[in-house]
Amino acid sequence: MTLTPMEQFEVKPAMGMDHPLFQIAGHPIYFTNQSLLMVIVVIVASLFLTLTVKPGRLVPTRGQSMAEASYEFVANMIHSATGEEGLKFFPFVFTLFIFVLFSNFLGMIPGSFTVTSQIAVTFALASMVVLLVIVVGFMKHGIGFLKLFVPHAPWYLLILLVPIEVISFLTRPISLSVRLFANMLAGHTMLAVFAGFVVALGSAGGIFAGLAIAPLLLIVAIMLLELLVAFLQAYVFAILTCIYLNEALHLHDQH
Amino acid sequence: MAEPLQTSTEAPKQAGGFPPFKTDTFPSQLFWLAITFAFLFVVLWRIAGPRINGVITSRRGVINADIAAADKARGDAEAASAAYQTALAGARARAQGLAEENRQTLNAEIAKAKADGETAASQAMAEADSRIAATRIQAKGHVIKAAEEAAIAIVARLTGETVSDADAAQAVKEA
Repeated sequence: MTLTPMEQFEVKPAMGMDHPLFQIAGHPIYFTNQSLLMVIVVIVASLFLTLTVKPGRLVPTRGQSMAEASYEFVANMIHSATGEEGLKFFPFVFTLFIFVLFSNFLGMIPGSFTVTSQIAVTFALASMVVLLVIVVGFMKHGIGFLKLFVPHAPWYLLILLVPIEVISFLTRPISLSVRLFANMLAGHTMLAVFAGFVVALGSAGGIFAGLAIAPLLLIVAIMLLELLVAFLQAYVFAILTCIYLNEALHLHDQH
Repeated sequence: MAEPLQTSTEAPKQAGGFPPFKTDTFPSQLFWLAITFAFLFVVLWRIAGPRINGVITSRRGVINADIAAADKARGDAEAASAAYQTALAGARARAQGLAEENRQTLNAEIAKAKADGETAASQAMAEADSRIAATRIQAKGHVIKAAEEAAIAIVARLTGETVSDADAAQAVKEA
């Protein structure tokens, strides 16, 4: 088997389940390595956020204060970006943040799979956000939601600005999903490439074997950077969701 | 079932392509994403969220109640201190009043006693003066008498003549 940097992103049936479980509209559904990781992600996240927290324990343990911190982090994020009104979307944004965060972090474990390195997943998440924004916008403002595309500007500028606004709105699911996907993909590819160097230099023997320490140290450094990126991308995904929701709730005016 | 089997065996063989863009994996990805995301959403929405929120809210409640109780205790303490201060000031004022009153009665008594003493003294002095004057007059009388008698006795001794009292008195007066 060849070890290419891209191989880690291969979605393939897991645990010997080579047969599709069933079909939906003619499409076979497999239980894949990615499915396994998604199941692990939600179980770990669910256990972490429920078991660490004991109702009535006012002096938190280490785990509970982490769970509380993540809760308040997202709550404050929504509150500062959208105001009081946005808090009803808390469960959705919190789920989004936790799902992406845990996918990114658990993907850092060597040998596991990075769920968010798949454009299908990130695009689906981004589409959910944009669909929610559209639904909320039209429910709150009716047809007036289309004013989102008309900024306060002289009419001759609007000829230019309205198409730009429309395009920027339409590209949101792409930018949102590609940002996360590409960050994860690039980071893990880089790690795999340097890991390949270590193997290549190590097996070359002689003086080259000693040089293998350089890419190994680099891997450690990149690993730390990737841990930061893992958190940062989850944060960026959540904060952009909040900003888009704020636009749906308040159009262009400040809240 | 032939087609799915075929895809399953084909999937690992398509190693040449860019894995994330292999569309034949998309249905499985989206299906499991929907299941797991929905599961996580329900858990966070129904269980974890309310649980964490409950802890945070009750902690905030306890802290606020404690702060309120502390505020109340401080208010009570301040009120008690103020009451103590007013009571103290009142007592001090009353004490000063009593002292002042006391001083005034004492002053009045002293003044009265002094006035009484002065009148008694001046009375006594006047009495004494008059008594002295009377005594002086009396003494003067005695002295004249004694002088007359002495004169009579002297004359009698020297001349052997008897001088009458009237003459002696006349002589003493002229002397």
